[in-house]
Amino acid sequence: MLDRPTLSELIEAAREHIEIGVIPAVKGDGKLYFQTLVALNVLKIAEREIALRPAHQRAAWARLNALLGGESPPPADHDAWEPAIAVRSADLTRAIRDGAYDAPQARRALFDHLRATAVEALEIANPKLLDSLKTEPPGQ
Amino acid sequence: MSDAPSVQLVQTRLAAFLRDAAGLDVTITGAQPLAGGASRDMWRIDAVIDGQPERLVLRRDLPTQMIDSALSREHEFALMTAAFAAGIRVARPRWLCADPSILGGAFFLMDYADGIAIGRKVVSLPDLADARRVLPAQLAEQLARIHALDVRPFGFLPAPPPGNSPAQAAVDQTWALLEGLNAVTPTFAFCLRWAAERAPSPARVTLIHGDFRIGNVMVDAAGLTAIADWEFAHLGDPAEELGYLCMRDWRFGVGHLRMGGISPREPFLQAYEAACGYSVDRAAVDWWEIFGNIRWAAVCLGQAARHLGGQDRSVELASLGRRSAEMQLEALNGIEKMGL
Repeated sequence: MLDRPTLSELIEAAREHIEIGVIPAVKGDGKLYFQTLVALNVLKIAEREIALRPAHQRAAWARLNALLGGESPPPADHDAWEPAIAVRSADLTRAIRDGAYDAPQARRALFDHLRATAVEALEIANPKLLDSLKTEPPGQ
Repeated sequence: MSDAPSVQLVQTRLAAFLRDAAGLDVTITGAQPLAGGASRDMWRIDAVIDGQPERLVLRRDLPTQMIDSALSREHEFALMTAAFAAGIRVARPRWLCADPSILGGAFFLMDYADGIAIGRKVVSLPDLADARRVLPAQLAEQLARIHALDVRPFGFLPAPPPGNSPAQAAVDQTWALLEGLNAVTPTFAFCLRWAAERAPSPARVTLIHGDFRIGNVMVDAAGLTAIADWEFAHLGDPAEELGYLCMRDWRFGVGHLRMGGISPREPFLQAYEAACGYSVDRAAVDWWEIFGNIRWAAVCLGQAARHLGGQDRSVELASLGRRSAEMQLEALNGIEKMGL
């Protein structure tokens, strides 16, 4: 949940590009066309994030409770969820670096959380990749 | 780009440089920017030099450098010259200009190489089907030559600190990169600790091209024509280069063919072993592929930081920040396969 750029920064970047680059440009410029596709994709990511983030935050909170111990509920104010998850992730980072998840069972539990986190990030950033991984033949 | 010199300026200044520095009778008949990397400017140059028509490529520094450890144009030129002399398939380097005042950045000229570099085309174009049949052996043979090049003249090549293995040095560098970005997440902390525990010891330390992958090799219907982008060359473990080439991101959508979306990995590794005469530790190659994903995941965040910090406002760089998760998932899946 520490991914940068943030949602608002992504939208800002796409908007800046479209304002500054696309509007005055002529059609048929290959590089600009590519960049515009990227900008479009950025906006799609932002849309998916807006749709999926609440569910991802709830799931992350529950996983962090299980990993760090405790049954603390998320903050009452929903705007405080993201910073609260960031604080707990920083706690988790320190614990990992201190070796608190080195034992096999703890390591497995941590790993499952990390993979779930990466999968959630890709549900927002690149769901097509997740789909293609499901149908891909075994790697050689 | 605002810092790009005009076509006319390139033509006149380049002709003057070649006349003054090399004493050549030069007419530049064409200069056209090529789609290039984020930190280098590339131009196709057509010229008549001492009465001979020449097709050339100009490679020029931009004011911003993507990665600080990259070679200068002078060093890249020197290395490519030696590689060319050793029979490695690289565009022949021709003239170097270290003076940034001529074209706004150091540059060199090399022969134009025919072929296509765009990764998704190399892995999928029907016209390149024959090329894909011969590429695994060609790439293996070229890597064997690169890893055998005498590096003694090239003291400028980045190398692991004394006492550190290439793997341990690479892990430390990635920690430092992430700390500098304030981006050490649980995933990076876990992956880098795992990588440090499992860091392989190299059987030998050699020249490493440093960005040897589909997308950086020129391919025509008959196969490999030229290996490009030598700026990340360094000294390291040959297994690094083999694992890097096999990363998912360089398979361009043909995910099950681990060697660049073109062939299974094992026949490629066997061709490499046959070409160089050394056996390859498969576990070390696995480790370097996983580590390559961790590092590329971190570099994606670094690229996004160029946008976020204001040095290089770009929607492309911004979007790279969100590509990091692709490499993070790939690293985690690789770690699980190798054993947590």
